[in-house]
Amino acid sequence: MKHLDDGALGALSRREPEAVAYFATHLAHPCETCEAFLATHPGPGLLDGQVDSLLLGLAPTGASAPPLDEVGLARVRRELRAHRPAAGRWGMVAGGLAACLLAVVLLPRMRVADPVGQEGSAVEWTGEKGRLARIALELSVVARDSAGVLRRLDPGSSVKDSDVLLLRYHATEAGTALLFEQRQGAAPELLGHFPLVAGTHDLQGPQGLAGVSLAGEAGPVTLWLVGSTGAPPEAETVSEMLEGGSGAGPQGQGPLAIIRFDVSVRSGQNRP
Amino acid sequence: MGASEGLTEWVRRASQGQASAYSELYRRTRPLVTRLVGGFAQLDADEVEDVIQETFVRAFRALPRLKEPGAFESWLLSIARNRARTRLERKSSTRRLEEDVADPEPEPVPHIPEALQLERDIAVVRRLIAELPEGEEKRTVHLFYVEGELSAREIAEKLGVGKSAVTMRLERFRSRIKRELLRRVLAGRWE
Repeated sequence: MKHLDDGALGALSRREPEAVAYFATHLAHPCETCEAFLATHPGPGLLDGQVDSLLLGLAPTGASAPPLDEVGLARVRRELRAHRPAAGRWGMVAGGLAACLLAVVLLPRMRVADPVGQEGSAVEWTGEKGRLARIALELSVVARDSAGVLRRLDPGSSVKDSDVLLLRYHATEAGTALLFEQRQGAAPELLGHFPLVAGTHDLQGPQGLAGVSLAGEAGPVTLWLVGSTGAPPEAETVSEMLEGGSGAGPQGQGPLAIIRFDVSVRSGQNRP
Repeated sequence: MGASEGLTEWVRRASQGQASAYSELYRRTRPLVTRLVGGFAQLDADEVEDVIQETFVRAFRALPRLKEPGAFESWLLSIARNRARTRLERKSSTRRLEEDVADPEPEPVPHIPEALQLERDIAVVRRLIAELPEGEEKRTVHLFYVEGELSAREIAEKLGVGKSAVTMRLERFRSRIKRELLRRVLAGRWE
């Protein structure tokens, strides 16, 4: 008796009549050998996907449309643009650094990021406290190099592509924030959602201290922190707003606090 | 029904370069991909997320070459399964790294045969589930595929069994369905 193997699967993929006729009969009855082969070998064609589609379709689906996982999509987009393997291309990295250490470095330099006068700034927002929003934000940034050494940054600072940027904010109210990264000539990309707590804190997500990896970056990079007191606004709408340089908040989203921080990324190999 | 309803038009738009269409495809199909990858209980949460990301990156890169938009969901799920398997095999070191499970090429993807469209009727699968002898395998299949709310890891915890055991039960059942569908495709379409 003949069972499925690579040769038979090839013959079925080519629709060879003899193989088709034989296996149409043979597979009419349970066959542990063939089932074991099918379990471990993809194909023929898209049969695996069709089986999974059918099986996963058994469960009831929710009445409402699934929400968009904006962070996941942002990661996919980032990877698509980078044309690099997944490892090392995540925009956000969890920092193992103690928050108190960051606070020591940043608190003396806490300041409002002011894009006015920064090179390459194409938008009109000043990032000044309370300008358009019920919540006001301040943002400070330090760079952590590959040796773990921290240094505070002024807006427009030059950083290495091996650096990780760590963010600390001051918020006048509790709320939520969206963090975007924007390269020169490209649309802002969402890096993540973060809860905001009134006062001065490290930007921190569920997985710990948030950092922005600059691996693979080159040239001007802008970080945008967009805060709101209510539910987070639609990331896509905010991204379009940031890209368009409009100071008006998304319709129906309420006032936003928007602050930016620019850096210039250079390759670590070219470091003087 | 799966999540394929209405996908075709979004696939066409994405193929034409509409960025919003990619967002819509991602929104509509990520839950299915997540559930599929969640069937591999040995993968932890970070690995599941990696597999999902890699699946969409590969699919979106190759999407413009997909000739039949109606095949998108099956093609995407095939990629997801291959990625999950590859990740598992690398994790268990049973294969060398270069022995990657190849994704199905988008070019020769055939239109889903009408016979198979009929097979999508879930009654066939429900019957096969009903025919399973009462026991842990049937319970596992019911929890994962019929109720659809728990991942394989969560089912392992709920039933108090090993993660590998849950994945093995699900894969064993799935291979029966695959045999049954292959037989029907061979008999109905290619004969």
